[in-house]
Amino acid sequence: MKKTDSAAVQPVMKKHMGIKAANRISNTILYVILILMSIIWLIPFVCIVVQSFRVYPTGMSRYLFSHPDISFRWGFDNYINLWKSNFPKWYLNTFIIALFVAVVQTVIVLCMSYTLSRFRFKLRAPMMKFMLILGMFPGMLTMIILYQVLKDLGLALENAVPGLMLVYVASSGMGYYVSKGFFDTIPKSLDEAARVDGATRAQVLFKIILPLAKPIVIYTILTAFMAPWGDFVFAKYIVGVNPSAYNVAVGLQDWLSTSANVSENYTKFCAGGVVVAIPVTILFICLQRYYVEGVTGGAVKG
Amino acid sequence: MASVKLTKVKKVYDNKVVAVHDFDLDIQDKEFVVFVGPSGCGKSTTLRMVAGLEEISDGTVEIDGVVVNDLQPKDRNIAMVFQNYALYPHMTVYDNIAFSLRLQKMPEDLIYEKVTNAAEILGITPYLMRKPRALSGGQRQRVAIGRAMVRESKVFLMDEPLSNLDAKLRNEMRAEIIKLRQKLNTTFIYVTHDQTEAMTLADRIVIMKDGYIMQVGTPTECFDMPANLFVAEFIGAPKMNIMKTNLIKENGKYYVTPFGSKIEVTGEKGEELKKRNVEPKEILLGVRPEHITLAKPGEGITTRLEVNEMMGSELHLHVYTEDETRLIVRVPTINLTADQRTNMVFGTPLNITFEGKVMHFFDPETEKNLLLD
Repeated sequence: MKKTDSAAVQPVMKKHMGIKAANRISNTILYVILILMSIIWLIPFVCIVVQSFRVYPTGMSRYLFSHPDISFRWGFDNYINLWKSNFPKWYLNTFIIALFVAVVQTVIVLCMSYTLSRFRFKLRAPMMKFMLILGMFPGMLTMIILYQVLKDLGLALENAVPGLMLVYVASSGMGYYVSKGFFDTIPKSLDEAARVDGATRAQVLFKIILPLAKPIVIYTILTAFMAPWGDFVFAKYIVGVNPSAYNVAVGLQDWLSTSANVSENYTKFCAGGVVVAIPVTILFICLQRYYVEGVTGGAVKG
Repeated sequence: MASVKLTKVKKVYDNKVVAVHDFDLDIQDKEFVVFVGPSGCGKSTTLRMVAGLEEISDGTVEIDGVVVNDLQPKDRNIAMVFQNYALYPHMTVYDNIAFSLRLQKMPEDLIYEKVTNAAEILGITPYLMRKPRALSGGQRQRVAIGRAMVRESKVFLMDEPLSNLDAKLRNEMRAEIIKLRQKLNTTFIYVTHDQTEAMTLADRIVIMKDGYIMQVGTPTECFDMPANLFVAEFIGAPKMNIMKTNLIKENGKYYVTPFGSKIEVTGEKGEELKKRNVEPKEILLGVRPEHITLAKPGEGITTRLEVNEMMGSELHLHVYTEDETRLIVRVPTINLTADQRTNMVFGTPLNITFEGKVMHFFDPETEKNLLLD
C-alpha cells in the first residue's frame, strides 16, 4: 500500500519541480528583456541630464559620447546661461498657458462629464455621438483655418499666448469620456441621498462626487496641464517667428534650428529640457498616489 | 409630522412605458404605510415620486396640504433611507449623519448634540469616527437611518431598507424600525417586496401590481379579506391554495364541492354569501395552507404527498389531487405522532379537509373577491 503511494507521489513531485524551474527560467528571460528595455528608454534622459552639467569651450559642445580630445568640466554654467537668455520668458509663457488650460479645461471637462453622466435630456445621446465622430478628425486638420481665425482676431504671432490658451481650451468639453466613465461608476443613490439631505446639484458635485472622483480629477488636471506644456506643432505654427511669444518647446527648438546653433546651444538646450521636466515631475510625484487609491469602498452594498 | 396625499399620480417613462397608473392614496399624519408588491410593480417609483427623485408625469403629490410636484427633494422636508444605504464613503459616520445639518448651516455644537443623540439611539456611538467601509451591513443601515433621523423631517421614506441584510439581521432590524417609529412618531412610507415586513410594520398596506393598486387596507383586512386573487396569493406564506370548484346552494345553505367532496360554507363567510344572495356558479376557492387539516383516511379530499418540507415547528406538505392540482398544507408538528412524521414520504396518500369558515371566494373571470364590492 505504502509502496504504491510513494510511487504515485514521485512523478507529481518531479512535475512540480519542473514547473518551478520553468517559472524561474521564464522569469529570468522576462527580467532581462525588461531591464534592457528600461536602459534603452532611459538613455536619452540620462544623456540630457549629464550633458546639461557639462561645460565645453565655446562652440565645442557635442553629444554624450563626444570626442575624447575635447575637454569639458562639470558646472552649472548652462543653467546660468539659460536664465540670461529668452528662456525665462518662454518658460513663463508656457506656464501661464498650461496653468490656465489646466484650470479651465478641468472645470469644463468635469462639468461636462457630470452632466452627461447624471442628467437625462433629449439631445444627450445625439450629442455624445456627434462628439465621438468629431473627435475622430485629427486636430491638425484645423490648424490652417485656426491660424487664419486667430490672425483675424489678433491672437496669433506676437499675441500667440492668449491665442494658444483659446485653442487648447476650445474643444476641451470633448475630452469627457474618461471622467464620465468614472462618474458612471459612482452610485446614483449617493446623489439622490445628498439631494434629499438638502444639497443642490452643485453641492452634490463638489461635496460628494468630486471628493470620490479624486483620481480622475487629478488625471484630468495632469493631462490638461501636460498637453500645452509640451506642445510644439500648434505653437510653432501660430507663433511664427516672434521670440517673445514662444513657448519652451518652440524656443528650445529654435536654439537648435541650424547646425551652427547646435554646437553653440546644445548643452544649454539640455539644461532647458531638464528645467522643463521639473514641474511635471513634481506634479506626478505628488499626485501619483491618487491614481491607485480607491476611495469608493463601503458606499453602497457591493 | 404631515399627511401625504397622492391624487391620480402617474408615471410614464420616455419610452412610453407606464410604471404607475392613477395612484390615489391618502396617508394620515403619523401613519405607517407600506407599499408592497413584486418587482416592477411601481412601488419604488411611487416612493421616488414622493421624494422628488422621479418626475411626476401626471397627478399631484401633496405633503401637508402643499402640492410638491415642482419642488426639489431638498425643499420637500422629507428624509429617505435607501436600499443600498448610499453612505458617503469619503466621510466618517459622524460626518455622514451631520451632512444634512451642515448644509442647513446649523451651529456645530447643536450638530454634535443631534448626531450623538441619534447614534446613541441606534447604538452606533463607537463607530462615529469610522468610515462606512469599516462597518458591517447592519451598522451601515443604522447609519443610513441615523442620517435620515437627524433631519427631523415631516415624512420618513424607506426604500427596501432591509433587503440587503441577511435573514437574522433583517428580523432584528425590523424590530428596531418598529421601536424607531414609536420614538420618531412621524409619517412613514416604506417600500418592500417582502410581505412579512409589510404585515409586521404597517398600519396600512398598499399592495401593488403592474403599476395599479390592488388593495389598500390594514394587514388584517388584507389577510382576512383579500380584494382579489393577486392579493390572496401575495399575502401569506406559503401562498393561498386556489381550487376551481362549484358554489352550490341547497336549502338556503351554501356548499363548495372541491375534488368530489362537499363542504358547507359556515361562519361569517356563509352569512355574507346569504346576505349578498350570491348566485351559485363556478368559482375559484381559496384556502390558506394553515387552514387545511389532515383528515382520516376515506374522509375529505384524497391527495398524495409530493414534497415534505420540515420547517421545525411545522411541516409544509406539498400534495397533489387526483386531477394533478397542487396544494400546500401547513401541519404543526406538535399535532403529529412520531410515526406520522417519519412515514410522510413521496407518494404517501393523505386525506385533507378544511372548515367552511376559512374559505375565500373569487370570480374566475374578474378574479375579484365575491364578498367585496
